[in-house]
Formats: sequence, C-alpha cells, structure tokens
Amino acid sequence: MEQALAAHIRRVYVPMTETGFYILLCLRQESHGYGVIRRVEDLTGGQLRISPGTMYGSLRKMERDGLIRFVREEDQRKLYRVTPLGEWVLELETARITRLYQTMKEALEGDG
Amino acid sequence: MGEKKWELRFYTVPEWQKEEEYLRQRHREGWRFLRLRGLGLYEFEACPPEDVVYRLDYNAAGGTGDYLRLFRDCGWEYLQDYLGYSYFRKPAGEAGDEDIFCDDQSRLDMMVRVFKGRLVPLLAVFLSCLVPNLLRLLLFPEPGGLAAFLVALLSLVSLLYLYCFIRFGALLWRYWRSVRR
Repeated sequence: MEQALAAHIRRVYVPMTETGFYILLCLRQESHGYGVIRRVEDLTGGQLRISPGTMYGSLRKMERDGLIRFVREEDQRKLYRVTPLGEWVLELETARITRLYQTMKEALEGDG
Repeated sequence: MGEKKWELRFYTVPEWQKEEEYLRQRHREGWRFLRLRGLGLYEFEACPPEDVVYRLDYNAAGGTGDYLRLFRDCGWEYLQDYLGYSYFRKPAGEAGDEDIFCDDQSRLDMMVRVFKGRLVPLLAVFLSCLVPNLLRLLLFPEPGGLAAFLVALLSLVSLLYLYCFIRFGALLWRYWRSVRR
C-alpha cells in the first residue's frame, strides 16, 4: 500500500469511533445500513443503537475512502462489503483494542 | 380534515436545533407540522397532543432513495426537504431522546456540511457585496434619505450575517473541541 494513503487512513480511522468499528466488523459479511444497525443491537444487547444519520454518513465516508465497497441495491437498500483496506484497518483496531484490554487487565491485577 | 393554522417564523442557518424544538413544542400543544413554505411559513394541523421528536439533517442525498429508506427503516417519518435540510419526526418513546445522530463525530460532520453548503456562499456574498458597499457608503457619504436608508439596511443585514457567523462558529468550535478531546 502507498505510504501516504496508509498514513491518511491511520490518521482518520485509528483509533476508530465505536460506531465505525462495529460497521466494519459487521460488513465482513455483505449487508445494508439497516442490517448493520440491527446486528449491532443484537451484538451489544441493545446497548448501542446506531442512528440513521450517523450510519448513512459513516457508510458514505468509508466507501469514499475505500474501506467498504458497494455491492448491489435491493429494495432501495444499498448493500456493502468490507474491502482489503477495510480489513487492514479492522486488524489495526483489533490489535489496538486487544492491547488496551491486556494492559488494563495487567494493571488491575498488579493493583490487586 | 382537521383545523389548520399557519405561523411565520424565521430561523438563521445555524439555528436548526431551535427549529426542531419549536416543532416539537407545537406537537406537544396539539399542532402537527404539515409543511414549510416560502420564507418561513409553517403550516400545522390540529392533532391529539403528543411528544414527537423533530430532527433536521443537512445532506446532499436528502429526499433520495437509499437515504430515505434507511431513515424509514429506523422509524423516522420523512416530511419534506427545504433549503437543503431534510425534515424528519418520530414519537419520542420512553427515553424521549430519539436522534438521527448517535455520536459527536457525525454531528460535527453535519455542521461541516451546513458550513460548506450554506455558510461559505453567505460569507462570499458578505465579503464581496455587503462589506464593500457598506464601506463605500460610510467613507463617501451621499446626501439624501435613500443613502441613509441603504446604510441602515446594509448595517442591519451585516449584523444579521455577523450573528450567524459568530453563532455558527461558536457551535462548530464547541463540537470540534468535544470531538478532538
């Protein structure tokens, strides 16, 4: 990957918003915005309900930056899927969150 | 068909939250918003009083297929597009905090869209027409009532413009800081 592009993507998407992370996570399988909203609600036990304005804007931005791609339209709903670039960002974020979690656990155990 | 009424209101570009609250308040009082026409003529229809949240989005995709479909899927009723804003409403529910955005980043993104779509053209008009004309009239005063009327009018419009810029600038700055924090 071109270095300038990688630096731009890192600057914009790492660390990601919780919404952005869940969108990428769900779009490993083809889905539309509303499908992702419902899936995220399921995954988080109703804790996170992504609003339509946020979802629409995030999808547009991610598509423009090449993290997801439009696959097809079904009943006026646009279906998307993550791209290799999106998978790379997801891996970066997963590694960051895992590191954060491990550091927190070690610190808490150390305190205890 | 229920009783109708019309109200004239004027909201400047950065005051969409005030407009949302105004429409919500009218619905609580038993007046359902029907449409907005002309330069601020709001049409209402009598209805049972209810707490209904109104939200405005500023998006180039407003009123189009997949955009509206997503909002409808999420339970928002689309009302109309007006000067680039899309109007939506939804019953308030138990928490009463229904919103079309769920994080600061997307709220900031909307403000940036409003800024680019509405404030930048206004700023161009302000700097290229209003300010030079006002300065010319102030520096090289012309006799007569018409010149005085023009100075008063241009000053009033300039003050309104300044109010819009400062208010929007403050709003944008606050959100920018909360997102970048």
